[in-house]
Amino acid sequence: MPYWYYDRKDLQNTPSFRDGIPNDTENRYRKEGARFIIDTGSKMDLGYNTVATGVVYFHRFYMFHSFRTFPRYITACCCLFLAGKVEETPKKCKDIIKVAKSLLNEHKFSTFGEDPKEEVMTLERILLQTIKFDLQVEHPYGYLLKYAKCLKGDKTKLQKMVQMAWTFVNDSLCTTLCLQWEPEVIAVALMFLAGKLSKFEVVDWNGRTPKHTAWWDMFVEDITMELLEDICHQANVIADSMQYPGNASLR
Amino acid sequence: MSSSGSSSSQSPPNMASISDVSALFQTAKKYEELNVIGTGAYGTVYKARDLHNGGQIVAMKKVKVALTEDGIPLSTLREIALLRQLEAYRHPNIVRLLDVCHGGQSMERDHQLVLFLVFEHVEQDLDSYLKRAPGPLSENRIRNMSYDILSGVDFLHSHRIVHRDLKPHNLLVTSSGRVKLADFGLAKTYDTEMKLTSVVVTLWYRPPEVLLGVPYNTAVDVWSSGCVLAQLHSRAPLLQGGCDSEQLHCIFRLLGRPARHEWPESAAIPVDSFPDYPPRDLAALLPRAHPQALRLIQGMLVFDPAKRLTALDCLEHPYFTEEPLT
Repeated sequence: MPYWYYDRKDLQNTPSFRDGIPNDTENRYRKEGARFIIDTGSKMDLGYNTVATGVVYFHRFYMFHSFRTFPRYITACCCLFLAGKVEETPKKCKDIIKVAKSLLNEHKFSTFGEDPKEEVMTLERILLQTIKFDLQVEHPYGYLLKYAKCLKGDKTKLQKMVQMAWTFVNDSLCTTLCLQWEPEVIAVALMFLAGKLSKFEVVDWNGRTPKHTAWWDMFVEDITMELLEDICHQANVIADSMQYPGNASLR
Repeated sequence: MSSSGSSSSQSPPNMASISDVSALFQTAKKYEELNVIGTGAYGTVYKARDLHNGGQIVAMKKVKVALTEDGIPLSTLREIALLRQLEAYRHPNIVRLLDVCHGGQSMERDHQLVLFLVFEHVEQDLDSYLKRAPGPLSENRIRNMSYDILSGVDFLHSHRIVHRDLKPHNLLVTSSGRVKLADFGLAKTYDTEMKLTSVVVTLWYRPPEVLLGVPYNTAVDVWSSGCVLAQLHSRAPLLQGGCDSEQLHCIFRLLGRPARHEWPESAAIPVDSFPDYPPRDLAALLPRAHPQALRLIQGMLVFDPAKRLTALDCLEHPYFTEEPLT
């Protein structure tokens, strides 16, 4: 079975890097591609699950291929197209291309070639081979809701915290966090971050036992504070650059 | 590691289109076909060597998928996604799915894509196992194999998969005598594909609701398993009909003709077209079987699918619980 998690060294030594693209540039490409999937998806009324699945395909794809060989916007379209089918919210290829065209300038759209639909069809087969037909992807969203159900405290504050964590998960799609950590871990970390920023301290939860020192011990074993802060830091970099309202530094 | 893939030359590749790149994939050949293991109604299974994994022997199933205007059909993608997802459980009575790949551009003809599903290779299926058995199986072996089969069926049902075609041919027997289910989860993909008409499909494990053309559900697999369990005792198929109606006659000769009120309204054939067969005693057909085994099989071979045991009921049957399995 394929394994989709990478350590920091792998994330620096990517096919794009070996192809002469600096890490900073690659990260910008990843962010732009992910953002484009989110924008195209929301313009087509695709749900968050389909969009997130498309983004995860996109990040995984570029662990095997260079951005120089495969331009990012057409790959992004193809990822969204495939995710639509897998999540049973299919969109016609030509409709996705139409929306893509409306969102991109002429120069960027020129990477779609002379017959954009045919290009996406061919790319679909390359994408499937690359992600090894491992099509079902889980996302942090479901875990956020699951965790929220167990936490006790002021309802309004709790809701606000979950809402904020949800936004962080959206933003985290533009990072490579999904290539580093399982969705349940990301959900814990971003809920933790949201709790800090919304000044909601979780002191009690359903199913608490004396062994638990924090609420997440109930769901994921062996999460250290160091790990949480690392994940939050990576997500926060993005949140900062997007000027998330009310965003404060972690420490 | 394969050296195929993108080149590492300094200048960016000057590509006319993505199709140029996809040509590179054909060189990334990972499996070497050895010989045909079997030809089913829906494609061929090859024995093959995994060139990337020390030459490990695998079973490779070739499935032709008709491409639609929007590429690979949604139903096929959903089915493969589910098979991949099931694999995460590594259920001991389900054949391991090791890899999924496709044949690439060159193998496409008339908008077809050839999919390869790569499974672990198991030397023997239950059909050949029973044929090669020198004598009757021990009661212990029968009980363990029965439990394995039902565990696999219950696992599929708990993931809302109906096998639809359980039979000794797609029950694999490992060298340590464990049974694993194979050949499931692609029903919708098969439906869109052209059937190979020359292949005869066996009817012996088919439940009455399918033969009568009425809607069916997970209970079909319990019926088929019941037929297989009986066969473990006698080493011969229990109900051997040559065509749909003959198969129904075989069934009613064993169970007795169903009462009029049990006959499904939408059935393709009226109940009167069958003689009023009296029920037979299963014990007479399976004289060596344990009384609890007979009771279990009787609970599985019930005409009305709603009154049939479920796979989970079967696992909790006294046949398995009265004495611990070894």
